[in-house]
Amino acid sequence: MQPGSRTDVSCPECGAPAPFRGTTVSLVCEYCSSTIVRTGLDFELLGKVSAILDNGSPIVLGAKATFDKIPFEVVGRLQLRHGRGTWNEWFLGFADNSVGWLSDAQGSYAITRPHEKSIVAGKVPPFSACVLGRALVVQGVSYVPVERRAATYQGAEGSLPFPAAPGDRFYSVDLRGHDGEFMTLDYGDRGDHQQPALYMGRAVDLIAIGLQPLRKFAGWERRA
Amino acid sequence: MTPPAPLKLFRDEAQVETIQCLSCGGPIALHSFGARQRVVCPHCGSTLAPEDSGALALLEAASRKHQSSVLPLHARGKLDGTLWEIIGICWRRCVVDGVAYPWQEFLLFNPWHGVRWLIYSNSDGHWQLGQALDGAPQILKTRHHGVRFGKQRYKHFQGAIAVVTYVEGEFTWEVRVDDKAEINDFVAPPRGLSIEQSSGPDGVELNFTVARHIDAAEVWRAFQQPGKPPRSRGIGALRPNHWHRGRRSMWLSCLVFVAAWWLLSDRLAATRHPTIAFQRDNIGFDEPFAQEIKIGTPGETTAIEFTFAASPLDNAWAYADVLLVNLANDEAVGFGIEASYYHGIDGGESWHEGSSRTTHTVGGVAGGQYLLQLQPQRGGTGSTPTEYEVRVVQDVYLTRYSVLALTTILFFPLLAWLFGWLFERRRWNNSDYSS
Repeated sequence: MQPGSRTDVSCPECGAPAPFRGTTVSLVCEYCSSTIVRTGLDFELLGKVSAILDNGSPIVLGAKATFDKIPFEVVGRLQLRHGRGTWNEWFLGFADNSVGWLSDAQGSYAITRPHEKSIVAGKVPPFSACVLGRALVVQGVSYVPVERRAATYQGAEGSLPFPAAPGDRFYSVDLRGHDGEFMTLDYGDRGDHQQPALYMGRAVDLIAIGLQPLRKFAGWERRA
Repeated sequence: MTPPAPLKLFRDEAQVETIQCLSCGGPIALHSFGARQRVVCPHCGSTLAPEDSGALALLEAASRKHQSSVLPLHARGKLDGTLWEIIGICWRRCVVDGVAYPWQEFLLFNPWHGVRWLIYSNSDGHWQLGQALDGAPQILKTRHHGVRFGKQRYKHFQGAIAVVTYVEGEFTWEVRVDDKAEINDFVAPPRGLSIEQSSGPDGVELNFTVARHIDAAEVWRAFQQPGKPPRSRGIGALRPNHWHRGRRSMWLSCLVFVAAWWLLSDRLAATRHPTIAFQRDNIGFDEPFAQEIKIGTPGETTAIEFTFAASPLDNAWAYADVLLVNLANDEAVGFGIEASYYHGIDGGESWHEGSSRTTHTVGGVAGGQYLLQLQPQRGGTGSTPTEYEVRVVQDVYLTRYSVLALTTILFFPLLAWLFGWLFERRRWNNSDYSS
């Protein structure tokens, strides 16, 4: 069972099937690596994405698990590069047609879901004024900025909710709460405003949420 | 024509590889499958960093000698049910009051579970197993500086500047010899929480770690090391206080015993019917007093309470040698009893001590006829007493046995509390809060 409705189109480059879903705006063809973007009722070719670096992630496209009792599938990956290397943001399609992101940076994982921008609009500082360690209060909960990144898109695979052209720069701040809460403020391509997109969730353990299948590693065995 | 297969990125098994150090040419085994930001050659200490393409490039050449750590690089061990491999080793130290305290950090890696830190303190031989905190601790505005995360509270133990002195292997962060970080350790033994601050390209960088104490023997067993681990000395910051083990159930059972004791002594006291065996007021001090009295029932023993009261007693004392002679067998019980009362004003404060009435309890008195003899004395600077009163009450409840029972009940919990307190005092003597 695939979550969401599917539209059957073909890759304008190689003609292979391109399984667009309800939430998919951009899709990387799994045969020829071309990026196909949905514009209204049309589909257009954005060109080939640069290669995704193998940064040792155990997550693979198509892996399934359950978060907050709702099953999801890993449908896309955005690989990002900042001053200190790369990390992955996996795009999740949930069984109830909602979406989420699984952030994957150096063995630390968190799942977030998009929330109303208005919750933080005007109440949080712009990217440039966010100080690591200085807590922000959102809906009565304290969040401590722990990571501030200006990143570029390294590459992508699978389905994404927006067209991600390699080289695009974007700004984000990760915050953590005193009871394990996780929040990302996504300032988009400009860091000087107070209207970031809001993602909230919590840190997860891949084995604990039952993500399957996972990548295989030479010399390592995992008991099922 | 059959269509080509989809590319399906990374469905193949990830492989380990061995590269040659770009500085000394020595072999470097890469076991972290790409989750690395720094690789430090174990042989020469040169630093390699991945380029945008993912390929490793020489960042900084070095020519240091390899040094042996307490555990070797690439050793594997199972901790908390998960297999880990040491992929990086980092030595750090801090200096407190001119004394260096070195420790060794082992970066543990599992491709599905991420990373952990196994930390060995050279100065006391204790071990900790740590991992990144899934959140940010809350700074508490308590009298003793502390933090909270989730339901757990931690007390500040010490703060120091840590300096990296030696590195080898692969790291998920940009490690470098001479890197400095301010570390504040908070403890709730056997757990601890550390806040690490360092300056990075984006201003201050914060890292939160939670750790637990782990026995040296467990580490040695897990990593299958030969012989015995280096001896642990002293208490260590996170070693559990074994005097606190089962503390809750001990005090709970103690509470049950005290309640039982209370009910039992109440019941026992109710079986006693104290009655006055003898009473005489207004006895003069001038001559010894003798009187034949009857105590209890012949053939049974009883406990008596002897009361001696003198009046008027004002900055004066009264004393009597008391002798109870059993007329049946001439056995005697003797004791001295004193009543005194003093008062005055000292430095503007009025004070008083003593009482005009004193009691003395005697247990195991055989019932029968007795001769009660008193040899009174008196004295003092105020008004010396002119007369006294004696009273003998029989069949009284002996509280001393029930007090003994209570002491026995409380002895071991109080002893454990004392030793636990001493243990904690030794632990905190190594902190910023030593007495």
